[in-house]
Amino acid sequence: MTLLPEQVSDLFGLEGTFGTFFGALVGATLISVIILANAALAGPWAKRKITAAFTDRIAINKLGPLGLGHILPDSVRLLSKEMIIPDGVDRPAWDIAPIIIVVSALLGFAVIPMGTILGVNLHLADPSVGLIFVFAVASIASVGLVMAGYSSNNKYSFLGGLRAVAQNLAYEIPLILTGISVVIFAGSLQMSEIVAAQSQTLVTIGALSIPAWFGLVNPFAFLLFLLANLAEVGRNPFDIPEAPTEIVAGFQTEYSSVYFVLVYLGEFVHIFLGGALIATIFLGGPAGPVLPGFIWFLIKIWAVFLFTQWCRSALPRVRIDQLISIGWKGMLILSIANLVLTAVIVGVLPT
Amino acid sequence: MSLEQPAVDIGVTPEGELDYDELEALLDEHVLEREQHVNCEGFVIRPDEVETVLSTLKREAGFDHLSCLTAQQYQDRYESIYHLKKYDEPTHELAVIVPTTTEEPTSQSASSVYDTAIWHEREAYDLVGIDYEEHPDPRRILLPETWQGHPLSLDYNKKKPQIVPLREHANPMEKRTGVPGESDTMFINIGPHHPATHGVLHIKTVLDGEQVVDVDPDIGYLHRCEEQMCQQSTYRHQIMPYPDRWDYISAGILNEWAYARAAEEMAEIEVPEYAQVLRTMSAEMCRIAAHLLAVGTFALDIYGDFTAIFMYAITDREKVQNLLEDLTGQRLMFNYLRLGGTAWDLPEPREQYFEKVRDFCEYIPERLDEYHNLLTTNELFQMRVMDTGILPPEEAKSYGCTGPVARGSGVDMDLRRDDPYGYYEELDWDVITDDGCDNFSRALVRLNEMEQSARIIEQCVDILEEWPEDEREIQANVPRTLKPEPDKEVYSAVEAAKGELGIYMRSDGTAKPKRFKIRSPAFSNLQSLEVMAEGEYIPDMVAALGSLDIVLGEVDR
Repeated sequence: MTLLPEQVSDLFGLEGTFGTFFGALVGATLISVIILANAALAGPWAKRKITAAFTDRIAINKLGPLGLGHILPDSVRLLSKEMIIPDGVDRPAWDIAPIIIVVSALLGFAVIPMGTILGVNLHLADPSVGLIFVFAVASIASVGLVMAGYSSNNKYSFLGGLRAVAQNLAYEIPLILTGISVVIFAGSLQMSEIVAAQSQTLVTIGALSIPAWFGLVNPFAFLLFLLANLAEVGRNPFDIPEAPTEIVAGFQTEYSSVYFVLVYLGEFVHIFLGGALIATIFLGGPAGPVLPGFIWFLIKIWAVFLFTQWCRSALPRVRIDQLISIGWKGMLILSIANLVLTAVIVGVLPT
Repeated sequence: MSLEQPAVDIGVTPEGELDYDELEALLDEHVLEREQHVNCEGFVIRPDEVETVLSTLKREAGFDHLSCLTAQQYQDRYESIYHLKKYDEPTHELAVIVPTTTEEPTSQSASSVYDTAIWHEREAYDLVGIDYEEHPDPRRILLPETWQGHPLSLDYNKKKPQIVPLREHANPMEKRTGVPGESDTMFINIGPHHPATHGVLHIKTVLDGEQVVDVDPDIGYLHRCEEQMCQQSTYRHQIMPYPDRWDYISAGILNEWAYARAAEEMAEIEVPEYAQVLRTMSAEMCRIAAHLLAVGTFALDIYGDFTAIFMYAITDREKVQNLLEDLTGQRLMFNYLRLGGTAWDLPEPREQYFEKVRDFCEYIPERLDEYHNLLTTNELFQMRVMDTGILPPEEAKSYGCTGPVARGSGVDMDLRRDDPYGYYEELDWDVITDDGCDNFSRALVRLNEMEQSARIIEQCVDILEEWPEDEREIQANVPRTLKPEPDKEVYSAVEAAKGELGIYMRSDGTAKPKRFKIRSPAFSNLQSLEVMAEGEYIPDMVAALGSLDIVLGEVDR
């Protein structure tokens, strides 16, 4: 399938370097708009509604149907707040950190195949190292977090930054190892290959054929990945870096106004990136019956989002030492075991 | 019972009564004089023998509970009164009175005998101005360090305003000791504005990495001179609204009862049985409301967000408040009790109200199952709160902890049973204790206590329903202006939501008390935070603070 940049340049009849550049720019803008519409506009609204449903409340309902109208005044309110820059912050680092957090999460979407809708294939790039690319750019967020924590000149931020790094270190490795077990199944790091490998039929029950989604082929890896991803995006029970009742708001304590919006947005985009990754490598990407692929893809992302919100409402936060020991002593060993097991199964079983 | 302690303490008759003569003999020549208080006798001792006398009493006679320390100034002297009790038998009370001269108000500190004396003596120094020798931490506690004068002393100029700017407190580290100098520690101010402090509490914390090395709670941000306000109000009408504002988390009637009990004992007022049942029922409703909030906010501290359990607790608390509103007309500041009775009878139609209360009593155990599902049987929750914030029973006693905090450490004391008042003696209910000594047990005790409270309420409803219509007496005969005889002293306590809430009053023959002292349970409980938190991680300190269930309005008064 042709990728989105080529489709755009074909549409405008452009060729050569300029065509590639123009197509990439327009394509990237389109993808960003889709992601931001989900993460920045629908995300916070959905979070409020979902949390309210879990806690027996009604939540926003005054403006528009289901309170959808609140999105606009909300964003105006957030953006128009006074920007408070505390004394003694390390200026360039403090300014750059929120941008890094958002950008690192957004970059990951470049290689995610989001399926087709109305004949448009929403897939920006398909490098042969797609999966590694996602992990690599998503990890850059840790740099942003520690920058934010360290440059804020606030002890709570500092603690939050340190916690964020400790947590990301502990959970990045199981995350990637579990991801690799999928690569063994698919035989490729390329996202489109991974999705294609999941389109085969696993079993057929009557008229119903169950696709070979890796989440179904290897549910153990799926669970591991889901958990590690929760820690990666910093949601309960692993929201240690923010931990409002302990260290106020962690690394984002000193951020206000636009910077706060960026940090907040970064978190949401991260959750969505985690969802996109899970959808792609475990849930068959955009595959699904009847509806267009892109819609299926969105449904899967939102299902993961719902899961994170569910955990947030229902599970207590673990302590920092428990988090680290779960990561290094539990998740790491399980993910290595999973990797070895997968390798053995794939090696022994005939295709 | 350890082997060191004799089965029957010295100074107790075989019938279980306190024998003051034997106690006097035990203390020998230390007792200079004996005084008669309303509930107990007082021994006057020399200011330089406090430690000897108290340690003898604690060791030999089993007075292991320093319930309260009242300091006051007379025209010719200062006086510190140590109100001693026993955890096993709270009706065994003894007041140890330590007079000092006006010129040199110096008295020996009791802090080496009872840890709880540290804070109580700091308060006495702060508000009245008595110096305690050998005190480990002789600072002010409620007022800022730079405050001039002692507000409850006789020569204090109440007209002169004092403004304390922030820069006076620029260096909060200065006077702290006990922090290892060589290790890499970090000082951090938790509060006064922090999501976990449940009000304006400021905890000066020293961290070693994520571990807490030293905590020093700094209280007094919500000090509203409640004791002084009560001293300027009349017994009969003006004091009663104030107790609602101490523990303002809907434990109002429990607090009112503390004052009502002390004043009624002082003025020898008999409360009609019917009013006692009403009081018992409404007080237990308040206890449920207070415990619901305690459990909800504790969960909030552990979970970290406004999660299901907190909202459920608040929803249920609203239901109790509806019942209380029907009864008293208020949702928070009830002002329901009167000296000698209550303000109103049950709302009409009575059957409808009984039905509502019964429904609630049936509903609460169901909900408690839900709480147990979400909290106590939740493995993640257990992982977080079990074996953290350990408060051993000996420490709990030494720090004067009472209420669910003490009962969570296995200290079996509940004034409702041990020093009965109201209608509790006639009813069938259990005192909940747990031997866990950790954050989990304290939460568990609260959850289970709610079930018992529901039982009490149900029985009260049964009794009220059967009560003959012409005997519904809600108010005893109390003179319009209550003037107890001069120099009567009373110290009396009830089991409030957070523990033993005691009131000390001294009359001078007028319609207003000369000295009004509040023994706040949260104040004493908060002091034990140091024991629970030091050496733990920050999250466990926060959990310990949540499990203490302090209300700053009551701590600071």
